[in-house]
Amino acid sequence: MKEALTRDHAGLSDALVARRYFAKFERITAHLARVAALLHEERAFTKPELTVVGRYLRGISFSFQALANKYLLTGRIEGPLAGALTIDRSESGFPVHAEFLTMANDAQQAERHLRNMPGSAELKDQMVRRIVGELALPTRLQFALSQRLYYEALLKADLFWAQNDPEALWQGDAGEGRRRFLVHWAVYDSQINLPTIYLMDVEDAGRTALPKDQRRWPEAQRHLMAQSLGGLKLLTIAKGFDGDFDDLHPKRLRRIHIGPMYSSAFTRQSGPIREVLEKAQSPAGEDWALAWTVEELESARVTQEKSGWFSAVEREVFALDPFAGRGADTGATRTERAIILPQRPYQTLDDLAPPGFRQVRKFVVGPQGQVLSYR
Amino acid sequence: MADFDAQIHDSQEQVAAAQQKISELTSRIETAGSRLKAGDDIAIDIENASLDDVHAHTEAMNANIAELIMGLDDVTAGFSRDFDEMRNKTGMESFIGIFSKAKSEAMRQERMRLASVDEKLQDLIGKSDIIVQLLEGQLGVLNTHKDKVEANLTGTLDEREVTVGALETLRADILAMDPQIIELENRISVEQDAAARTVLETELAALNTRYNQMVQDEQVKLANSQTLERYIEKGKTWVDSLQNQAATQMVLINKLQTDTKQRVVLYDALTKSLKTAQQQDVAHRINEIGVETDQEAQTAMAAIGSATNARMADMMEAHEDHMVFARKVLEQKAKSDERFARRFQAIVEKHDKNLYGA
Repeated sequence: MKEALTRDHAGLSDALVARRYFAKFERITAHLARVAALLHEERAFTKPELTVVGRYLRGISFSFQALANKYLLTGRIEGPLAGALTIDRSESGFPVHAEFLTMANDAQQAERHLRNMPGSAELKDQMVRRIVGELALPTRLQFALSQRLYYEALLKADLFWAQNDPEALWQGDAGEGRRRFLVHWAVYDSQINLPTIYLMDVEDAGRTALPKDQRRWPEAQRHLMAQSLGGLKLLTIAKGFDGDFDDLHPKRLRRIHIGPMYSSAFTRQSGPIREVLEKAQSPAGEDWALAWTVEELESARVTQEKSGWFSAVEREVFALDPFAGRGADTGATRTERAIILPQRPYQTLDDLAPPGFRQVRKFVVGPQGQVLSYR
Repeated sequence: MADFDAQIHDSQEQVAAAQQKISELTSRIETAGSRLKAGDDIAIDIENASLDDVHAHTEAMNANIAELIMGLDDVTAGFSRDFDEMRNKTGMESFIGIFSKAKSEAMRQERMRLASVDEKLQDLIGKSDIIVQLLEGQLGVLNTHKDKVEANLTGTLDEREVTVGALETLRADILAMDPQIIELENRISVEQDAAARTVLETELAALNTRYNQMVQDEQVKLANSQTLERYIEKGKTWVDSLQNQAATQMVLINKLQTDTKQRVVLYDALTKSLKTAQQQDVAHRINEIGVETDQEAQTAMAAIGSATNARMADMMEAHEDHMVFARKVLEQKAKSDERFARRFQAIVEKHDKNLYGA
């Protein structure tokens, strides 16, 4: 049982492979921000939503940079000290959840580590001495410096953690003494090993504004974090939230899955995407495809429900996908799938035209950063 | 948890003590080495550097750490309590259940929606990190000592070579003197002239003195070489022992890291599947009461939906690669487990008896 759960995990123990992996992700995350901007132009994201999503995307990029520093000298240092990045090879391509948990643990102790380490200027000075004086590679010193940069990144930047707790942004009044909030949070989903962003439009009928209400807000935050599982359908999450908080009315809930990342060099994939990537024979750095899925659940109408003996509360009834009756039960109003890929794999994809990809939107990114969208 | 912390503290102390003993022994061997160079007698120093004491200590330390690693199992037994709590009702919920079954169920559902093991997983990773750091520290110490003693040993080996070389030339010289002495003695026995005989006898006496001196020298050199040999022997045993200890540490680290990785995934998956399975259909049932009117439209669309589904199923491919990979991982895991079991058989036995016997 235990083995079955980790059979997809693979360590990148070679220095060059690990560096190539991180370089690839640096490029991909840069493209992601441009795709989000394109979606904003199409009115799929409002301005505040774009800001929020953009921040999470930047966080992902920073997290990858931090990990790149942590594992910079993988395979060049002996002993168990150096470690290797573990990634999920099938249907994810991202590092495993435990990497992010370990990173959170490291962040707690980052200050202590930095206090006991020599500064980067001193480390570089020692390196020069070793290179000039002993004519040797200063591998140990390089390792020390990479760890220092890793801990500095943990303290400094706004990273994407395993859990990113909810924040509420005021969006205006909805009438009848109600306020509209955009609640957003993100988790690194441990089952599919992918970053997942949640956006929820909430109407708040409470007397105190939600983020200032010290009774409801912490409870709501905890509730949402505990419910953010990839395995739960949006309907389940929204229904549970609606039921547990009488004066919060979720009107719209969106979930953005970033990934999986496919690459014929790093991941094992099945289905048409494998053929596409293999036939494209792209040069290193161009050999990838990243899926981007937005699930959306909207409230269709409101019903009144008795609560206790004297009062009634509003409960949402959510609109479900009309296909959901017997077919794929998504528990969402609509699901939009998109795939982001460089030009060369796209050409192959277009040539092969596998049937499963007809409904998938294709974002094609160029080396100069232009993004084209094909249906 | 308090028990676990105490155990960690214990182990930390033991590791510190073991490291002190190891450095003591290394420094003894080193002093012996330097005194050897100074030409002093080092027999006592070598006898003092007893390995048994260090061995007994490191054995106790490793046993403690192995127990600590197995103890993580017991620590994580706390997880199963969480799982049970999610499955069963609390006292209050059962009490309310007497009056209203629906309310009691709703309360349980709400509790489950709040349940999360993420903090515990973080804790598990942290704890295992502490042990790994302990082990890595020990491993580092062992390796530095090994390097030191090895460097020292190479020097001594060279020295012994020189000593043995000198001994051999000396022996050759002694052998070469024998015919000279015999020849002189022969000449003395046939010499008639008293003056010439006296000269020859003086020569013989000088030759004999030199011979005796050389034999004495040979004895000293021999003793020296023997001491060096014993010193080298001791050093070699020490290096072997250090190497062995380092291997033990690596096995422990390997086992711990594999275990923790798998545990985190396992507990996470268990909690989440529990939460998912128990909530999903309930939410659907509740929502469906509201969407009954939409039902007709749904049935019409469902035919199209199932056709799409069938096509998607066709697109899926067999995962034969998967199986090969899984087998490889299983083999690696079996190997690491076997190494662990071989080294810590006694502790595993004790632990198992404690767990299942009582």
